[in-house]
Amino acid sequence: MKTLRDINIPFNRAEGDLEIRVDVEDGIVSDAWSVGTMFRGFEEMMHGRGALDGLVVTPRICGICSLTHLTAAVEALDDVAGSSPPDNARRLRNLALMVETIQSDLRQAVLMFMVDFANQEAYQDHPLGEQAQQRYSPLQGRAAIEVIRESKRLLQMVAIIGGQWPHTSFMVPGGVTSMPERSKLLQCGIILERFRGWYERSILGCSLERWLEVQSSRDLDGWLDEDPCHRESELGFFIRFARQAGLDTLGRGPNRFLSYGNFTLPQETGVQGVGGRLMAPGFAVGTEVSSFTASKISEDLSHSWYQQGDGPAHPFAGRTRPYASGQGGRSYSWIKAPRYGGEVVETGPLAEMVMAGNPLFKDLLAQAGPNVLVRELARLVRPAHFLEPMAIWVDELLHRRQEDFYHAVKSIPDGEGVGMIQAARGALGHWLRIRDGKIGHYQIITPTAWNGSPRDGAGQRGPWEEALIGTPIKDLNNPVEAGHVVRSFDPCLVCAVHCLSRPKGPPLRGWSR
Amino acid sequence: MEPVKRQIICIGNRLVPEDAAGPAVFDRLGELQPLADGIELSEGGLAGLNLLPLLEQGGRVVFVDAVRGFTRPGELVVLDQRQIVASLDDRHFGHGAGLAYVLAVLPEVCDGEPPEEIVLVGLEGACSGPLIERAAGLSLVLAAHGLQGCS
Repeated sequence: MKTLRDINIPFNRAEGDLEIRVDVEDGIVSDAWSVGTMFRGFEEMMHGRGALDGLVVTPRICGICSLTHLTAAVEALDDVAGSSPPDNARRLRNLALMVETIQSDLRQAVLMFMVDFANQEAYQDHPLGEQAQQRYSPLQGRAAIEVIRESKRLLQMVAIIGGQWPHTSFMVPGGVTSMPERSKLLQCGIILERFRGWYERSILGCSLERWLEVQSSRDLDGWLDEDPCHRESELGFFIRFARQAGLDTLGRGPNRFLSYGNFTLPQETGVQGVGGRLMAPGFAVGTEVSSFTASKISEDLSHSWYQQGDGPAHPFAGRTRPYASGQGGRSYSWIKAPRYGGEVVETGPLAEMVMAGNPLFKDLLAQAGPNVLVRELARLVRPAHFLEPMAIWVDELLHRRQEDFYHAVKSIPDGEGVGMIQAARGALGHWLRIRDGKIGHYQIITPTAWNGSPRDGAGQRGPWEEALIGTPIKDLNNPVEAGHVVRSFDPCLVCAVHCLSRPKGPPLRGWSR
Repeated sequence: MEPVKRQIICIGNRLVPEDAAGPAVFDRLGELQPLADGIELSEGGLAGLNLLPLLEQGGRVVFVDAVRGFTRPGELVVLDQRQIVASLDDRHFGHGAGLAYVLAVLPEVCDGEPPEEIVLVGLEGACSGPLIERAAGLSLVLAAHGLQGCS
């Protein structure tokens, strides 16, 4: 038996702040460690600031999902203030968050996940390898370019709704700062309709309605065989390539799922949801869903470089004080280990499908359990569940433009509040305490903290650490299989330093001043 | 005849010292608003690919950002569009995809009129007050007159 220990997998584009170390025995991953290499410290940065500062500071946590952090921050402030935004504010907030989620989903799927299908060394013998090159090669693949162009166009909706681009801050406690002009709302409708046309034509290869009829694994096979447009769409190609690459056998993970639920519905709307939200919260073991209890969330620091407390703590009690020595080498990550009732849980689009009781995903999970294919599939088709509610809300905004978009919140009182939403990558929470008019406590648990967490005090691995176990690695110098597993969770460890660096090779002369 | 559009876009993360040069110059230029010659000022922050809509209106665009490895610490460097794109050593998209990636993909996805000229004012190393002042002044000159007008 050949054992190779402590191999550092080069995640050259999984955000410079993530390292994955694995042990490999006979070509199979036998153990794994997820290492967050950067201390964020946003929570400590917030202490003593004005109550509203989270609206400006926390969106800077991430350049990819800044609007998502803005949403969580404002929901926490609404909770403290006891404010209830009017229906039009709900529509505008939901629309903006959906836009950001859709652009993230498609960029991740095509530019960060399916680009590995164009990995020539790994897939030179794959029957679809050459086609994958044409579709997904960086900066030139047809699908890669299309996704950048179309997601850019869709994001114009956020610029319209927010009235500023980039770094919009249009959400405030009590609602939003303004209502777009009627012409701008009409423009939103046109942008959305155009995007939907492209998504149906290029990503799905069929109408939203036809896709939503696919409710089982058998339906999925029938859908693939039904029409060449289905097979040749990005979705059809993804399924065919992934099956032949065996991605439905990789990356099981903890088989526990968590979603906070998302998109509070306007009180009067044509959009149907569950319990006042479009997406229901929940915890699931496999596909058995139980109700979600926020008090069951805790953060375990036992393997993280933080000052240790008296064991796992709820985010309202937890602290984020860096302490990188004196723990006998046990600590290995700047990520904490969030747990739900002590359980390791996966969060993200697949968890949302499970909580919704989506029959297709229930069937796929029943047949093969969680895996890379089903996890990425959930991300690729999630927009199909958003586009119709978005069209309804744009239409409702047009017809109810004169109604309120803001309920006055004169001050933020002392107290506690929490903003819990679903970001593109999964459950995102901001826990906030205001004392003497200032922020006395701020804790953030990001989706990647859930999915990329290190071990906890009970020795349980984090979700993608667990998902890596059993992964075959054909070529340690090109560990594309491990990349598929981790990227199927859509890792995002904070946009850190990303300044222009001189490339290796001959000097690149600029004009020094 | 419409005046040439001129933009200065400062990029970076004001919460990370190594990447805070662009926002620092943005703050300095903000004190000088309104800028001469109708120059528009934007904080590009971490927007990455989401800066593309700002590059579809023709004219001249001056980016201001931290750089690493181009000149001595405490110095400024000016790069043209070709040189910025040439610095792209990983063609894969990632969450840290920066200016070089944006400019590399721009010709393929631009819906409007791409800028006639794009330059970068790069700040190397720790940002002192005088360096920020020089960068702010240089970016204004470049936005007004372009590289040709400054040579």
